[in-house]
This record gives sequence, structure tokens and C-alpha cells, in this order.
Amino acid sequence: MTYKDYIKWHRMPTTWCPGCAIGTVFKQVTFALADMAIPREELVVVSGIGCSGRAAGYFNVDSIHATHGRAIPVAEGVKRANDKLKVIVFSGDGDLAGIGGNHLIHSSRRDVDLTVVCINNGIYGMTGGQMAPTTPKGIRTLTSPYGSPYQPVNIQGLITSNRRHWYARASAFQVLHLQKMLREAIEWKGFSFVEVMAFCVENLGRRLGYKNGYEMLFKLKQDYKPVYKPEGPLKESELGVMKNDGQAS
Amino acid sequence: MKRLVFGNEAVALGALRAGMTFFAAYPITPASEIMHVLAEKESQTAFVHAEDEIASIHMAIGASLAGRKALTSTSGPGFSLKQEGIGLAHMMEVPLVVVDVQRVGPSTGMPTLPSQGDILQAAHGSHGDYTAIVLYPSSVGECYKYTIEAFNAAEDSRSPVILLLDGFLAQLSETVDLDAIPVIPKPRTLAPLGQGQRHFTGLLAKDGTPRTKNPGYYREWHARVKAKMLETAKSYRFSEFFRNERADTLLIAYGIASRVILPLRNEYSIFKPVTIFPILDDELRAAAAGHKRIVVVEMNDGQYRGEVQKVLLREILGIPVLGGAISLNEIRERLHDL
Repeated sequence: MTYKDYIKWHRMPTTWCPGCAIGTVFKQVTFALADMAIPREELVVVSGIGCSGRAAGYFNVDSIHATHGRAIPVAEGVKRANDKLKVIVFSGDGDLAGIGGNHLIHSSRRDVDLTVVCINNGIYGMTGGQMAPTTPKGIRTLTSPYGSPYQPVNIQGLITSNRRHWYARASAFQVLHLQKMLREAIEWKGFSFVEVMAFCVENLGRRLGYKNGYEMLFKLKQDYKPVYKPEGPLKESELGVMKNDGQAS
Repeated sequence: MKRLVFGNEAVALGALRAGMTFFAAYPITPASEIMHVLAEKESQTAFVHAEDEIASIHMAIGASLAGRKALTSTSGPGFSLKQEGIGLAHMMEVPLVVVDVQRVGPSTGMPTLPSQGDILQAAHGSHGDYTAIVLYPSSVGECYKYTIEAFNAAEDSRSPVILLLDGFLAQLSETVDLDAIPVIPKPRTLAPLGQGQRHFTGLLAKDGTPRTKNPGYYREWHARVKAKMLETAKSYRFSEFFRNERADTLLIAYGIASRVILPLRNEYSIFKPVTIFPILDDELRAAAAGHKRIVVVEMNDGQYRGEVQKVLLREILGIPVLGGAISLNEIRERLHDL
């Protein structure tokens, strides 16, 4: 099995814009799956709505493209109905942490054995570039023309507030680190969440002055550094894992 | 063996008899007892007390795709929230059963009082055009029987079938021998997840590939799904007709209202649909024949009356019984005053 077996080639090219980060992350997931040699018949990918939500249809496995925000509950239903299936949720920050936020809180609390890959591009890309719950404070978008007045949602804090948890932050630039995180997340028994820092050049970057996807990718390189033994919660610039197998600290 | 059973309990037991092995719901009056009964049946069914109504129907969709007969139950406020999932299940053609125990609305309304106000919502609550199968029993024994029929219809049609109850029926206790009710649960019709390459999506899609800018294909798809639903529904046309040869007035009622007016069958003919949608056009026309007046008695402001009028193309009178209180005396008086 190679990564190519996990891709529906007849669906290519994807709907994603040139320079988009989602394709990079999508491919890294297929690398991780091939590396772990997970049989396609034991794998289900579930997505919600948005650019990242289109990913489910590109995986060459049984997949579900659910309604907006509902990828996690659909995936939980699948997992609880058939424990033998590996269930991966691949979706965006607006879908998972915005409209689907309640499900994120509670499925992680119930520690359902899912792996959630969250493309965090800080914007609602597919609908044209509106403020997301992850949009940094001060960033101008179509619905925050004077700059977002709010602090972005702290997904790390949400997930790690559960005693038993597995949370990683990775980026679409540091792909080897991302792949390692994905493999670990898929192996983890219980709820695992990989927040992949990404970007949207078309509906956010160009309005902020970036000329192309590469410039935004380079910004990720500048902004984030993998940390292999983080001391306490990951700082804003750190990539790494926060995990706890349920023991009281 | 005969024993005392109440409506919600009969629904839960009927679901288990139908082969339901996945249940997800959120507590709500007056439907919670379905949860209470199933919570104790862990050896027979997966049970999830979900974080909200939206999660519970989507879990049921996921579980159904993964190979289990799935159920979710709620009341009006939760039924409104579940409409999103109902639309998704219609689009992806996923079998499941949604129980709505109706209470007085809109909104939080009168939580403990019965109503029949969700009739049109059961058929048209989610956005867009779709064809729904909606059943509405009127006794505890029927709750059991038609829960199983709802599961059968869901499998046959691969759609979310709506089972309506009202707060009255759900809490009503009757002596009944459930095992004596003849039922034949149908097998699953959908291959479970794990086949390796199918794609289920809420988008308009052909063989798993989105076709979101193709009006011609939409029309083709809509015609196919509608024909499938109407064809399946032919096997699920349930009703009862009490013809009174001396009567010139036909009363139409369903659910608890049909129970309450049953003593009037000495004065009137009574037609009781169990299948609410697709509407029982032939049965309604046959029942209407020979009657000068037709009166729909229902605990809403004329929702089913309008549907009957569309079929019979003649004036249909109505007795809307609002506010959660229903009594035979009141209905008898209002019939005399018509």
C-alpha cells in the first residue's frame, strides 16, 4: 500500500485554490495512513462543511460529508456502531470549533476513540472570508472590517481541560513533524485532536497583503517551532503534543 | 402476557423488537421515558445520552451508515433542531427513525400538555423538497406496532421515517399483550461502512461525485427519489374507517383525537389515518363518498385539514382543539354548533 491507494484519483483535481494548504495536509494524512498500513476497509473519514470538508470525498475509503459542524457526532455514531473501524474526522476550524463547538467539547469529554484533524486557517474561506472563531484579534475580514475585536478560541485549552486528553499543534510547513503527530494521534486510544496551523491565501491572505501561498507558508515557518518536550501548555509559537492518559497529576 | 404499558415504553420496546441497536437522544418532556426505558437495555442496544438534539440525530445517521438500525426521539423543540439531520438523511438516503412526541408550541410552549401541532413540520420541516413517510399511532398497542412498521419503512425507503406521538398518548397506560401483536421486522438494506470507497454527502451527488451546478441532474435525482418514496409508501398505507350508514357527516381524526372522538361513531362516520404522509388520497376519497360534510378534528389550527382539502378539492370543516386540553363533550358541542 502506498499513499496513492488512499486517494480517489478520478476526483482530482481538488476544488482547493492554487497555493492552498489543505492539499498539503491531506497528502500528509495519506502518508501517515500508508505508513501505518491501515486497510481501506477498516477506515472511515468524516468531514463537515467548508473547504476542508471537501476532503472526505477525496479519500479512497468509505467516507461521509456531513452537515456543517456535525462531522464529530456523525463520526461518534460510526465509531460506537462499529468499534473495529478507524474513524478520522478531517475538517476546518470554523466547522469544528465554531458551529460544531458543542460537539467538540462533549465528544472529547466522552473520550470517544476518534482522530480529529483540524485545518486551522483562521477564516471562513469557502463562504468568502468571514471572521472565524480562530481569527486572531485585530485581523480584518469581511465581517470584522475594523479588525476582529475578540481573542481567538483556545482549542488547546478546550481539549486539555479534560483529564484524559491528546492534543497536538502542528503546521502545514513542518510536514515531518505533522506526519509524526498524525501517526501518534491515530494510534492513541481515545479522542485525539491535531490542530494544523494553515492559511487561506485567496480569502484572507490577499486582503492582508500576501502575494501567494508561498509567502503564507513561509510565515508559518517563521511563526512556529516544534517543541519536543513542552513545559506546560504550548505557547502561541510552539508546535507539539499535550497528552495525559487520565492519571491525576 | 397482558400487562400495563405506556406509550413511550411501547415505542422503546417496539424499537428493540424491530432490531434497533443504536439509540441516541437528549432529554425532553414528554419524550424522556423512551430514553429511560432504553438506558436500562444496554445489553440490547447502544445508548448515548448526547449533548444535544442535533448531535443525537447525527450520531444516529453515523450509526445507521455503520450498520445498525438507529433511533432518536424528541419533542417539538428538539424536533425543530433535528430538521438539519433529517434533511441530511434524506439526501444521503440513510434509514433511521425519528420519534416526535408532540407538545404545545411554538417554542417552549406548554411542555407537559399534548398537541398535534407538528403535522406539517413532520412532512416539510427540513428545507428543500423531499418526500417523507410519517406514521401516527393512536393506542399503546399501535405505538408498538407502528414503531416496527416505521423501522421497516425506513429500511425499504432508505429514509428517515417520522413516528409522531402526542404527549397524551406517550403518557397513556393501557393493558396490552405486546407479544400477541403480529410483526415482521425487515432486514437491513444498506451495506455498512467499510466497503472501501463509497462517499455519502449532503451535496447533490452522482455516484459520490458532487453535481452542484447541474439543474438537469437535480431534476432527475429528485424524480428518482420521489418515485422511490411513493412506491415504498404503498406498502405502508395504514388507516381505519368506521362507516356509519346513517351519518351524513364524516369525522377525520388521528392520534389521541381519534381516541377521544371514537364514542361519536354512533352518530358520525369516522376515518382515522395512521399514515399521515404521504397522504392517503384513495382512502380519503373512498371514506368521503356519500358524506355531505367532512370535519377534521385535530389538536392544531387545521394543519391536516388543509392537506385533506387539497386531496378532496371540496370544503372541509375543522374543529381545532388548541391549548393542550381535549374533551369529548367540548367536541360534541362544537360539532352541533357547526
